[in-house]
Amino acid sequence: MKGLEAISHYHGVSLAVLGVTVVFIALVVLAVIISRLHVVLGIWENPKAWLDRVRLWVFPEKPEKPEPPGPYFDDIHESARQLNLLIHAIGEPFSLPALIEKAEKIGISHAHSVVSHLIVSHLIVPDQKGYFYWNQKECDRLLGKGRERKRGVNPING
Amino acid sequence: MDKFIYFINQTGFANIELSGLAMMAIGLFLLYLGIAKKYEPLLLVPISFGILLVNFPLSPMMAQPENGQPGGLLHYLYLGIELGIYPPLIFMGIGALTDFSPLISNPKTLLLGAAAQAGIFATFLAMLALGFTDLEAAAISIIGGADGPTAIYLSSQMAPHLLGAISVAAYSYMALVPMIQPPIMRLLTTKKERMIEMQELRETSRRERILFPVIVILVTGLFLPTALPLLGMLMLGNLFRECGVTDRLSKAAQNELNNIIVIFLGLTVGAKCSAHYFLTVETIQILIFGLVAFGIGTATGVLMGKLMCLATGGKVNPLIGAAGVSAVPMSARVCQTVGQADNPSNFLLMFAMGPNVGGVIGSAVAAGIFLAVL
Repeated sequence: MKGLEAISHYHGVSLAVLGVTVVFIALVVLAVIISRLHVVLGIWENPKAWLDRVRLWVFPEKPEKPEPPGPYFDDIHESARQLNLLIHAIGEPFSLPALIEKAEKIGISHAHSVVSHLIVSHLIVPDQKGYFYWNQKECDRLLGKGRERKRGVNPING
Repeated sequence: MDKFIYFINQTGFANIELSGLAMMAIGLFLLYLGIAKKYEPLLLVPISFGILLVNFPLSPMMAQPENGQPGGLLHYLYLGIELGIYPPLIFMGIGALTDFSPLISNPKTLLLGAAAQAGIFATFLAMLALGFTDLEAAAISIIGGADGPTAIYLSSQMAPHLLGAISVAAYSYMALVPMIQPPIMRLLTTKKERMIEMQELRETSRRERILFPVIVILVTGLFLPTALPLLGMLMLGNLFRECGVTDRLSKAAQNELNNIIVIFLGLTVGAKCSAHYFLTVETIQILIFGLVAFGIGTATGVLMGKLMCLATGGKVNPLIGAAGVSAVPMSARVCQTVGQADNPSNFLLMFAMGPNVGGVIGSAVAAGIFLAVL
């Protein structure tokens, strides 16, 4: 028996296709495993570094935004009391540069930051003409709470 | 006078045959190639001497035991082939001699070793078409793997009567790699491709090299248990080499044991080349189609190399695909030579060793497939 008849009789084509396929599959599987071997060994040798990488992958850290500089003072009540006295002295309305200059002169440290914080807290309010007023009502409320806290009284329940 | 005539009748002169003389001439020619041309001398010298020894008229070297008389020396040594002992032991020696680092650091080159096995299966079809049985066709086509021990192992298991022709063809083509491969490599590649310089390989750790043989055995053993005699011993030899605690065994596998088995194997392969087995049309067909298988294997390896070159944006030199046939390290050296001819600063040897040892694994897997399905 010869030729195509012989190939057909012995299932030659299917055997050849099977052979090529199995050789490729076996060697591809082997190649994939070997290519990952050094990674697996890296985990084995240094599991902590790997765990850190996994953690970062699962919970990616957001890039930290620079925090705005915090108030450079410990007690807003004390700052409010000091600036209240100073504003009474320079009169209202007042300009912020003048207030900051006077505050620095009398030794209030980080005057910019303190003034900025009091604006955010609505203790210093703008008059829409470029000048500012002192909000005595808010100041009284704040200082009142401060005194109650110092006495150990809950400001809400009295 | 009767005694004298009896003695004359017992000499080689009285029993000489033309076919025997032809085989002795072939044996002497192979001996010349081995010694003078240094073509695989470690194998060709014992093979050719074995051919000489068995083709003497009335040679008792391969005689079967009969009438209570023991058989010839080579008859008993041949049991090592018949029982499938020598090729796996040779593989152990090869494993102990081989550094698999280039393959471990660049495992995708295993695909080149796989592609180069296509020649085996193409030749299998051709041999079936020529009228060989499926077992004979498989044994002949494995020559395309360019792996002597694998070819001997498979033919001893599937077509022992073709063992002589197949092993002579396999080892002859392995010796002729520097002549067979370069024209095919140049034909299938452009000068620009041959000039490609590859990126340096990463260093492999000792742990990787120790785990490699274990992983190969686990994967191939599960895929194809019939490949275990060859691959199992190959990887055992390599484990001896890499584990660092069996230096004596590694040296024994590399040297003493390997050399002893090469002597036995060579002699007994030669002993199977007796005139009535060897001087046939089948042998000529085997020699021709062995060459075809080898050529196809080289070509498919290079073509896979071109594909990888394309896929990696020109980072792989396609020439190393030719090393996918498992003539270790001859075909890797050929890649180096052909590559350097076009780019003298190109050093492809280490890159070509990856597909080269991948080809050893690939051809053993191909042999395992034939053993499993036929």
